[in-house]
Order: sequence, then C-alpha cells, then structure tokens
Amino acid sequence: MSAHFEEEYVVAPDGTEHKVQAWQNDTDAGKLGFWLFMFTEVMMFGAMFLSLTYYFTLHTQDFFAASHGLNRVLGGTNTVILLISALTMGLGLVKMKKGDIKTAKLMIWATIFLALLFLGIKAVEWTAEYHHGIFLGLPNLQAGTEHYIGHGQTLFFGMYFTMTGLHGFHILIGVGIMLWLLKRINSGKVTPEHNILHFNITLYWDLVHLIWVFVFPLFYMIGAGDVTGGAVHGH
Amino acid sequence: MDTSTQSSEGLYYKILIGLLVLTAITFIQPSMFLTDYTVGAQMFIAVIKAWLIVMFYMHLKGEKLIGIFVLSTLAIVAVFFTIVGLDVTSFQYQDISPITKEAVHAVSHH
Repeated sequence: MSAHFEEEYVVAPDGTEHKVQAWQNDTDAGKLGFWLFMFTEVMMFGAMFLSLTYYFTLHTQDFFAASHGLNRVLGGTNTVILLISALTMGLGLVKMKKGDIKTAKLMIWATIFLALLFLGIKAVEWTAEYHHGIFLGLPNLQAGTEHYIGHGQTLFFGMYFTMTGLHGFHILIGVGIMLWLLKRINSGKVTPEHNILHFNITLYWDLVHLIWVFVFPLFYMIGAGDVTGGAVHGH
Repeated sequence: MDTSTQSSEGLYYKILIGLLVLTAITFIQPSMFLTDYTVGAQMFIAVIKAWLIVMFYMHLKGEKLIGIFVLSTLAIVAVFFTIVGLDVTSFQYQDISPITKEAVHAVSHH
C-alpha cells in the first residue's frame, strides 16, 4: 500500500484541539472500496443472468423466437455507442493524469452526450415495442387474452424490460455522477494529483459497459439469422 | 505494473479496435459460422470482450490483490449458478409451477 497520510487537527465543542491521523490520497483504499461496491453490482446482475439462463433452458425455442423480433440495428448501435463512451471516459482519465484538465472535462462531456444518446435510442426502441403491443402490463403479455404471445415469450420480454431497464437506470446514475465529477473538477477538488474520484467513476462506467457486453447477445443475438440453434417461429 | 503506464492513449485505441472487431464478429456469427451453436459462440465472444475491458480499461492487469478479489467474486457467482442448476434439474413442482411448460399446458387445456 502506498498510502500517504498527514496529521490533522479537529476542534472539540469546548475548543480544545485533538490531533488525528487522516488518510489523504489513499488511492489503494479508494480503489479497493469501489471494487467492493462493484462486486455487489455483479451479484445483483448475476442473479438476473441466472434467472434468464433458467428460463432459457425451460423455454428455449420461445426465447429464440422472441429475440428474433428485437431491433438489432438499434441494439447494435447502442453497443457501439457504449463502446466509444468507454473510450472517451478512459481518455478523459488519461488526460486528467497528464494535467490536461480542459480536455479531460471535454471527454467527460462527450461521455455524457453518448450516454444520453444511448438512452434516447433505448427510448425509441421501447416506444416501438409498446406500439407493437409488447410492453409490461399490455394484453399481449397477459395470459388468457386474445393476442397472448405465450408463456415463454412473456418470460423473455419480462426479463428483457427488467434487465435493460435496470441497465438504463445505471446509465442515468452514470450521467448524474459524471455531472458531479465535473462540479468537483471545477471546484478544484479533483486534480491531476488527486484523481481517485475520476478513476472510480471511470471504473463504474466500464462496469456499465461490461454488463451490456452480456445483455446485448443474450437478448438481441440469440435469435438472429435463420439458425437451427435459434429456430425462428412466427416472424 | 503501474496503472499510469498502462493507461496510455495508444492502448485505449488498440483495445477499442479489438472490441469493435469482436462486436462485428458478434453480428456476423449467427449467419456465418457456428450457426448451430449461436448461444455458445456469442457467450465466448462476450467473455473475450469482457476480459479486454476488465484487464485494460478497468486496469486490472498487474493489480494482484483486486485481481484475487474479482476471481473470488466470480467463484461465488459460479457457486450460486451451480447450486441453482443442481436444484432445478430435480425440480419437484413441474405441474404447478407458473414458469414451467407443464403448468402452461395444464392452464391452456382447462
């Protein structure tokens, strides 16, 4: 551990000063703590991937059929957008470490723009699905109704909206903390020497990207093409 | 290895190209190769992409302590998957569970 610590003083209500040992710029602890938080994220999404895998084994052909109906162009576009946003965020950190704060901030703004673009495309996609009658709560996903798409496909779309929705929520949180990071940079609290906040937010964004790396093929690609491994029905 | 030396701009661009190529392969795979094993092929590509992201974008290369933590977490997740897998292979409520085919057929026949 390469922690650097200095003495600090706190003042008690009666006015007396007490020497305390404060840890400053302890990047190792900062990194480790953030990784611990990210493990909880892995556990949460891991449980969802586990449910998805189980439902897939129960209703394999229905999952292929439902996946075939998703818009791969929009899903793929979002994949590339997220990929480039991981680059801009990473380059921002490199620039910050090199002392080029202006470019670092520009890179963070570029990441925010790409994140919002991702959410916009996701909104377009969900709206189209809603107009096709595929959305949580609509009759097509309710057993016993005339146009019910079936139990397997309902499970697929239930997982699809839940997981892409939760992922989208993480994107939104990411935009929020990036704006907070910009505020901290502007106020001089994040500097080229003290960049652990920038480092951890970049890690968070990579995690969001990482989750999408698995979400995209499991929902969009398993039913792509006229494949025997993903037999297409009714589309 | 020091994280600052890893995070050079050139490395970021190289990894980007690698990830873009793998994304392109993700798109062409279902109609070009291993078409009978789409799910397995897609997951294999995703694992390679994840490895690149974790090692280089998330700076895990050279981070021994955090690397051990990540592997431990993945091992715990694998234990969950295994236990649930063992459990569902001997599922006792096929006829009444709302998630199984048997129960769906029973409902549709009523």
